[in-house]
Amino acid sequence: MVVSIKDGLKLIGVTIICFCAVYVCTFMLNYYIDVKPLGADITDERLSALYSAQIAMAKFTSIITGSVLGVIAAVMLVFYVKLYIDGRARQLGIIKAMGYSRIKIALGFWVFGLSVFIGCALGFAAGWASMDMIYGSMTIDGVGVISPSFHAWLMFALVFAPAAVFTALACGYACFALRRPVMQLIRGASKVRISQSGKDEKSEKDRKFLTEMSLKTLGSKKLLVFFVAFSCFCFSAMVQMGLSMEDLTSDTMGYMILAIGLILAAVTTVMSVTSLINSNAKNIALMKAFGYTKTQRTLSVFGGFIPFAFVGFAVGTGYQYGLLKIMVNVVFADVAEVPDYNFNVPVFFITLAAFVVCYAAAAAAYSVVLNSFSVKKIMTEN
Amino acid sequence: MIIAKNVCKSYNGTQVLKDVSLEIADGEFAVILGASGSGKSTLLSVLSGLEKADSGSICCNGTQLETLDDDGLTAFRKREVGFIFQQYYLLPHLNVDNNVKLGASLAGNKAYRQIIEAVGLKDKLKSSPAALSGGEQQRVCIARALAKNPNVLYLDEPTGALDEATGREVLDYILKLQHEKGFTMIMVTHNVNIADTAETVIKMNSGKITEIYKNSARKNAYEIGW
Ligand SMILES: Nc1ncnc2c1ncn2[C@@H]1O[C@H](COP(=O)(O)OP(=O)(O)OP(=O)(O)O)[C@@H](O)[C@H]1O
Ligand SMILES: [Mg+2]
Repeated sequence: MVVSIKDGLKLIGVTIICFCAVYVCTFMLNYYIDVKPLGADITDERLSALYSAQIAMAKFTSIITGSVLGVIAAVMLVFYVKLYIDGRARQLGIIKAMGYSRIKIALGFWVFGLSVFIGCALGFAAGWASMDMIYGSMTIDGVGVISPSFHAWLMFALVFAPAAVFTALACGYACFALRRPVMQLIRGASKVRISQSGKDEKSEKDRKFLTEMSLKTLGSKKLLVFFVAFSCFCFSAMVQMGLSMEDLTSDTMGYMILAIGLILAAVTTVMSVTSLINSNAKNIALMKAFGYTKTQRTLSVFGGFIPFAFVGFAVGTGYQYGLLKIMVNVVFADVAEVPDYNFNVPVFFITLAAFVVCYAAAAAAYSVVLNSFSVKKIMTEN
Repeated sequence: MIIAKNVCKSYNGTQVLKDVSLEIADGEFAVILGASGSGKSTLLSVLSGLEKADSGSICCNGTQLETLDDDGLTAFRKREVGFIFQQYYLLPHLNVDNNVKLGASLAGNKAYRQIIEAVGLKDKLKSSPAALSGGEQQRVCIARALAKNPNVLYLDEPTGALDEATGREVLDYILKLQHEKGFTMIMVTHNVNIADTAETVIKMNSGKITEIYKNSARKNAYEIGW
């Protein structure tokens, strides 16, 4: 009664991230499990080193992908639950006022787990669909051709277990968020503190109104800062990694990382910008009514995020460099054929240029949406 | 039986309720009367366990509200309280039937359709709140609150947003249902005339109770001025 199935299915961002995570983990772990027992039979020293490296990479990749994407999906899920509760605070407050316990209300949030289940299930299926191709590209000459075998427990661990854990997370967080007193929920008291001390006010007056607006937007949306930075991090790290991995592994692998990076970056950007626009629609409409220019309005919403976008990009650059360095120097250390890895400067500049172009284009596109709101319509909406 | 003793409540350092004490008997209909900003809604939300008082004690049918935490207050409201808000507050995505069912299912009340019938909305069961007039929406709220069989019904200006004809009609429904079911009823209003329908009138001014009196003769919804 509280959360409809339709609401639960709207968490496409979470679905896509789960899909990516489970997709990669499915074939990597399946490969790991199938190939692991062959180790005992390999006597050739050169083969053995290649084999260990291959195994280690499969393990390494799935652990990194699984845990990083898992954490992101969890944060995103919590963010969605929070957004949902904030957006419907009044209705939830009324239900609570009637005497529904917060545990009972929170259990209604189980539907948010559906998005995780669907993502994981599709990811697992897609993982199996590309299994033959992956096994083919990871065949070690001389070890013999292995064909993938199905492990039921792996399906449980990658599909049902995450779905259950994330469902519990959604309900648990909702239960936590619903601790807010009834009247606060109903009145929709915002949690942004309006400073009341005289000292603060004076220093605030010196700042320009527009700077003030973008700072307020940032302050009220700290989690969005994280998502924007994460989006840029994904773009930077995975595009650079994908492009500079050619020499290290197969092309397929590089393109896959590139594609996953772009998908993640796009998903998080769309998610954060959409919620940013929705929560600022009123301010923007008001600024429009007062005669602020389009650029001023757009900057007041997006401006504050620009530095964080570049921070995300920088961290992503460092991360991919560190990761590849470790791969080459630690995981593949014993394998003679792998060339040394150095920071790829051309790829860095190509990625940076693509980054600026893509994000500026996205901002321009969203600025059109942002400025198309009709003042009257927004102001009369409840 | 509701007994409040020396109840105080402040918001951001401004005292809104100052040492409020009152007693309301079972099955009694009391009206809280006062100017805008005098603290009526605040008193109602404190009495009904929607908010906690800062100090003082409130005993409602044997439960001491000041000893309860948020979850305890929720359980208390489930057991005892029906609440009708001035601004209706229906759930927009549920139709009339389901809005009322929301209250009914808390009390395991299977016969809630009778209440919808009693407030005259039998043929609007499948309508969404947005398709109802203000008076109809308020009647859904009344049905929703009554469907959970409350022992005490709290009403915050139930006719405040309605015109005279609709206001009288809604008030008439409320009075009849209270007479029929015998629950305790506390209603906030700034309409002096509505006070004539009550047994007890509690007057408030700037967060204090200034006067409590009993009406010797009660009027019905169509006899009072508006
Ligand atoms: N959540 C709140 N935060 C801060 N101040 C509040 C809050 N709720 C009420 N007040 C203040 O408490 C005072 C009493 O408010 P209350 O809503 O109880 O008045 P009321 O008698 O119901 O008025 P009305 O007839 O206009 O509804 C008002 O001055 C109001 O500004
Ligand atoms: Mg009021």
